[in-house]
Amino acid sequence: MNQMNELFLGIFLCSCLMLAVSSRLLHCIRIVALQGVLLGIMPVTLAIGHGDIHWSVMIINLSLKGIILPCLLYRTMLKAGVKRELEPVIGYSLSAGVVLALILFSFFISGRLSLPAGASDLAGLAVPCSFAVVMTGLFTVIARKKALTQVIGFLVFENGITLFGAAVMREHPLIVELGILLDVLVLVFIMGISVFQISREFSHIDADRLNSLKEEAR
Amino acid sequence: MLTLSLLLLPVCGALISFFSEKPAVARWVLMITATGYTAICAVLPIHPDQLHLTETLTLAADPAGFVVLAATAILFLPVSVYNFFWMPRDLEKNAAHLGMKPSTFAAILMIFVSTMTLTTLAQDFGMLWVAVEATTLASAPLINYHRSKGSLEAMWKYLLICSIGIGLALFGTMLLSASLNFASASFGFAAVKRLTAHGFFNPAWFKAGFVLCFAGYALKMGLAPFHTWLPDAHSEAPVPVSAMLSGSLLNCALLALLRLNDIVPSDLEGFAAGYFKFFGFFSLAVAAFFIIRQKDYKRMLAYSSVEHMGLIALLIGFAAMDYAMLHIISHSLIKMSLFLLAGNILLSYGTRETALVKGLSGRLPGTAAFWLTGILFICGTPPSPLFFTELVLVKEAGIAAGSAILALLLVIFCGMSQIALKMYAPDKNIGADPAGDKLCRIPAIALAAVSALGIAVAWNMIG
Repeated sequence: MNQMNELFLGIFLCSCLMLAVSSRLLHCIRIVALQGVLLGIMPVTLAIGHGDIHWSVMIINLSLKGIILPCLLYRTMLKAGVKRELEPVIGYSLSAGVVLALILFSFFISGRLSLPAGASDLAGLAVPCSFAVVMTGLFTVIARKKALTQVIGFLVFENGITLFGAAVMREHPLIVELGILLDVLVLVFIMGISVFQISREFSHIDADRLNSLKEEAR
Repeated sequence: MLTLSLLLLPVCGALISFFSEKPAVARWVLMITATGYTAICAVLPIHPDQLHLTETLTLAADPAGFVVLAATAILFLPVSVYNFFWMPRDLEKNAAHLGMKPSTFAAILMIFVSTMTLTTLAQDFGMLWVAVEATTLASAPLINYHRSKGSLEAMWKYLLICSIGIGLALFGTMLLSASLNFASASFGFAAVKRLTAHGFFNPAWFKAGFVLCFAGYALKMGLAPFHTWLPDAHSEAPVPVSAMLSGSLLNCALLALLRLNDIVPSDLEGFAAGYFKFFGFFSLAVAAFFIIRQKDYKRMLAYSSVEHMGLIALLIGFAAMDYAMLHIISHSLIKMSLFLLAGNILLSYGTRETALVKGLSGRLPGTAAFWLTGILFICGTPPSPLFFTELVLVKEAGIAAGSAILALLLVIFCGMSQIALKMYAPDKNIGADPAGDKLCRIPAIALAAVSALGIAVAWNMIG
């Protein structure tokens, strides 16, 4: 089972690189969905051989992160009428380089942190992977202009945190776990509505052009 | 039971208001809910009334949480009464560009209060994170009540920046949990504190977790340099919401930082206090810089919130906890009064630019008088309790840091009073607006309460 989990972590890293180079929003949404499905499966494959498997958490995770959130994003994309990120702040080839550097950097950092005692066997690989996913998400928020891509970046960031939680530490209490999922769901819902409102009011969803509120402008 | 009813009462009010769809019903429900909420808070005992969600997860009011809860309750009541009279007048002027129905607005406001209550009652880091994130989600739609490009932009920035900040706090929470070597069965504040006090933690992971949690919650609290979203959100929101955001929500984020400060083991206390001092002082400096050249009076109040969050962080850094609590309560009350008065000015003049507000003393005499009083109070003029907390802070900080803090406070005092006096100055061409002045009584009562509190503090200090 450990090999399978290592494979999953590898797919996670690949998905980060794919996110950096894809300009089509639909593609980005598929990547988020893929990560969501992996996050849904991983707690189960990790728990095999260790006893109790939380099927309810798995089903909720899988359906929310793998299906509902991507569907919400897709709907927002259709409503806002955008398909591509045309002029990113940082170009695609450079983005790929930066994400690669971030991955190397996270392996470098985690090499210097001693693992906490009692962490799972997978932690040695999972810690750098989750650092890399978190940083890729943050990088996507900075390097892309469209509000929708920024939401996608935020979700990748959040997936990285969940990956850390699933692979390294023991779970939160069930209520907290559900609370976190509920928060993320509502967040994406509200963000979807506001992306739609922005596209209606401004006739674009370039977040970098949302700049009327600052001190000099007044 | 009381704890549970405190959480559920606003939710019930929200449901009634949402499904009634009538502004009149929503106003009444909001006011009745707020009265009930405040009454429950007044009789809530501090420790014994625990709500057990699971074996290890409880909700209860402890002393620090109770202070923030009390600050929320004593703001919620006046704001809802103000809203009762404000809403119809606002509908007259702004009905054409509302982002949502007034009943939905009242419903979301009540949900927002419920999430803040959850923040104050949470007794473990996981629940705390869930609640703080929920406050962001519940308050964001409220900013867009008066639909405009500006409010939409403010809402987007608020949502994105705060969510990422709080995401960092979640990551930090997980690192903290990892630093404890998974020794604790629960992640409650008391259990974590016991473990760290006995040295059962990994320092590198603990520091990393502390820094991320600090950054995340400091962002939500509006400490500079993470404050960029705050002036936009607090100035674009409708006034009742601005009052709640500045007066209550910032306290909730502050409470999260207090919880974090509480679990720091004794050999890392200097490390943690350094963060509070540095970011507190930096906020003070940034606020001073932006207040002196401010052209928008609601933004001025928002920057003043950044200043006061900085002062509270400094008080925590210098370990003057009682005075930090006093500062929280008094700042909340004064800032709420100022925002509500700013609402009167905004309704009467229809602009947020200070240059266009002329002859306030002639047009809205009551509002003008209390506006000036409030500005003096927020700058720490006695009998405001802020005078005493700032006095203690300067004394604790020592000669060099103390005089730097005093100089910045002086700059802020000059900047704010200059703006307020310019607005106040009599102008013969401006006629009176008696209808617009009626709403000044609620802030006046709050200011009177604050000065009574200040006199009590002075009495206590002398005696």
